[in-house]
Amino acid sequence: MNWVGLQMLRNDRAKFAAMIVAVSLAVFLMQNQAAILATMLSMTAAQIRDVQDADLWVTEPEVECFDQVKAMRDIHLLRVRGIAGISWAAPLLKIDAIGHSEGGRLNTVTVLGIDDASLAGLPHRMRVGRADAIRELNTAIIDPGGHELFFPGEPFQAGRSLRIRDRRIRIMGISDIAAPFTGLPMLHTSRSTAAALNLGEQHMTSFILARSAPGSRPEALCQKINALGGLRARTTEQFAADAMWFYGSQGVPMLFMITITIGLIVGAAITGQTFLMFIKENARPLSMLKVVGTTDRQLGTMILLQGTVVLVLGSCFGSGIAAAVCNLIRTQPFLRSLYLPWEIALGTCLALASVTGIALYASYRHVRGLEPAAVFTPAIVTCAA
Amino acid sequence: MTPLDSTAVHCTGIRKHFGEDDARVEVLRGVDYTVRRGELSFLVGPSGCGKTTLISVIAGLLETSSGEVSLFGNHLARMPHSDRVLFRRSHLGFVFQQYNLLQALTAAENAAIPLLAAGVRRREAVDRAAALLDRLGLGSRTAAYPRQLSGGQQQRVALARALVHEPRLIICDEPTAALDHATGEAVMELLASAAVHPDRAVLVVTHDSRVFHFADVIAHMDDGQITRVEPGRRTDTATHLGSSRLTNPSA
Repeated sequence: MNWVGLQMLRNDRAKFAAMIVAVSLAVFLMQNQAAILATMLSMTAAQIRDVQDADLWVTEPEVECFDQVKAMRDIHLLRVRGIAGISWAAPLLKIDAIGHSEGGRLNTVTVLGIDDASLAGLPHRMRVGRADAIRELNTAIIDPGGHELFFPGEPFQAGRSLRIRDRRIRIMGISDIAAPFTGLPMLHTSRSTAAALNLGEQHMTSFILARSAPGSRPEALCQKINALGGLRARTTEQFAADAMWFYGSQGVPMLFMITITIGLIVGAAITGQTFLMFIKENARPLSMLKVVGTTDRQLGTMILLQGTVVLVLGSCFGSGIAAAVCNLIRTQPFLRSLYLPWEIALGTCLALASVTGIALYASYRHVRGLEPAAVFTPAIVTCAA
Repeated sequence: MTPLDSTAVHCTGIRKHFGEDDARVEVLRGVDYTVRRGELSFLVGPSGCGKTTLISVIAGLLETSSGEVSLFGNHLARMPHSDRVLFRRSHLGFVFQQYNLLQALTAAENAAIPLLAAGVRRREAVDRAAALLDRLGLGSRTAAYPRQLSGGQQQRVALARALVHEPRLIICDEPTAALDHATGEAVMELLASAAVHPDRAVLVVTHDSRVFHFADVIAHMDDGQITRVEPGRRTDTATHLGSSRLTNPSA
């Protein structure tokens, strides 16, 4: 009888298509919005996670995220290095400055000054050039979005320069780091060069990057550093989570959740309503099936199968469109970090299935309530299930 | 065969009402009615006299308010709902006024529905239904959809659906009402030749007097009661029982 149910569904092409389109659009809308939200949140922690050689971040106690900079006294670096179990610790200087390109383009840039000796925090993946070329004074590497901003439409290549605070900074390569949340160009340079751009400031350390020695637990080291007082140490993932929470608690996710919820409600409502209409319009054939001895269980299985087919097809189409759009968008340098996690794809489909399941259950109750004897009369009547 | 053995349908004191208090409507008012095996019985009467309600009660689709219905010695009212559905699936066939064919299925697939409901594999069920349609004169139309068939052809498909699982009682509700006279005659001829069998009863509800001559027995109903039972013109049962049969219902 399941086959009969599928044939009935296939035969009503208008409703079948309407339900698939509704599910597809709802899934696409939810996945697209959820992917943008997830990407935005991950971007708030991107610069933290991009530093792969350190597993500990030490900041001033008030700092919540990478974009909050409070200069640290140099003595703190020595205090951290003095903790048993710390393999190494290195300073990281972060400043914002105005950059000018040769072509006259102007933009605020984020400059990251990396410890000259250890190069701790240097990008590990490069699109063009070598990262360690920044050892040379007044050189830097720039991220793809920054390159596009300063040199729009031009191919990625080293050798160009930017003017920052009256210094000419030569671009030695294009890094392959994740796009930053701020959207500002990211310039990695040596701490010496960055310090020269930060004239007038007394302290030249924004973060302390540290690595736990083999056999030491990073969490335990964080506790030791925090016990020193005046410092806040976190593992990379703790700091990333704090950064995401900091931005996530500021209302933007709420806006996305509203859109996602609307997508869910509208998609489920259209799908459910259309499915219920499909069932109601097939009341007479379904009554006939009951008269000839089809059990409620068989009819319930038919309805479940019909609903499942609609949801699976719609989810596949919707997810496919969402993935295609995501891939299209991420070709833009500024939006290169956009991604669609499989958890979101699965979660949105399951959410829609759960809500649409209510309509399926209502349809089943409707069918159970169909009075089979009504098939003998011109009008279908129902009784309470 | 004893008189009791020959009984297919036995109704005693059937009463059925809808609604309560001021809205209470007595539809059946103590119906005593019997249909014997091998008979083509007509139940006739004016609209609203309770014919459809009576066949719904006989088929186990409606509960009685009082009285008993026995089908081949089985009391449907005493069966659990699920058993009643299975009994109906195995022993009853239905022909409806408006055919009630599924537009999504071909003629053969429509005719195979009772077999599919009983769990017969699709290929086998459709093959059996197609063979039956062939014997009913629709061999060339087994792959046609209902919208591609005339009213008479659709009713023949409905007849095949009622016969395909070899039921012991066939209930027909106004089978000729939607057909012109010639087509109605043809359908009734087919019904009489294909459905009637010594171990099977056929109960036809109709008020199409043009086809009364097909009946073995005609029960007249009015105002919720059987008012008169009279023999039809096909009283020579030996003639039709001895005629060529297209199906052989299992005992």
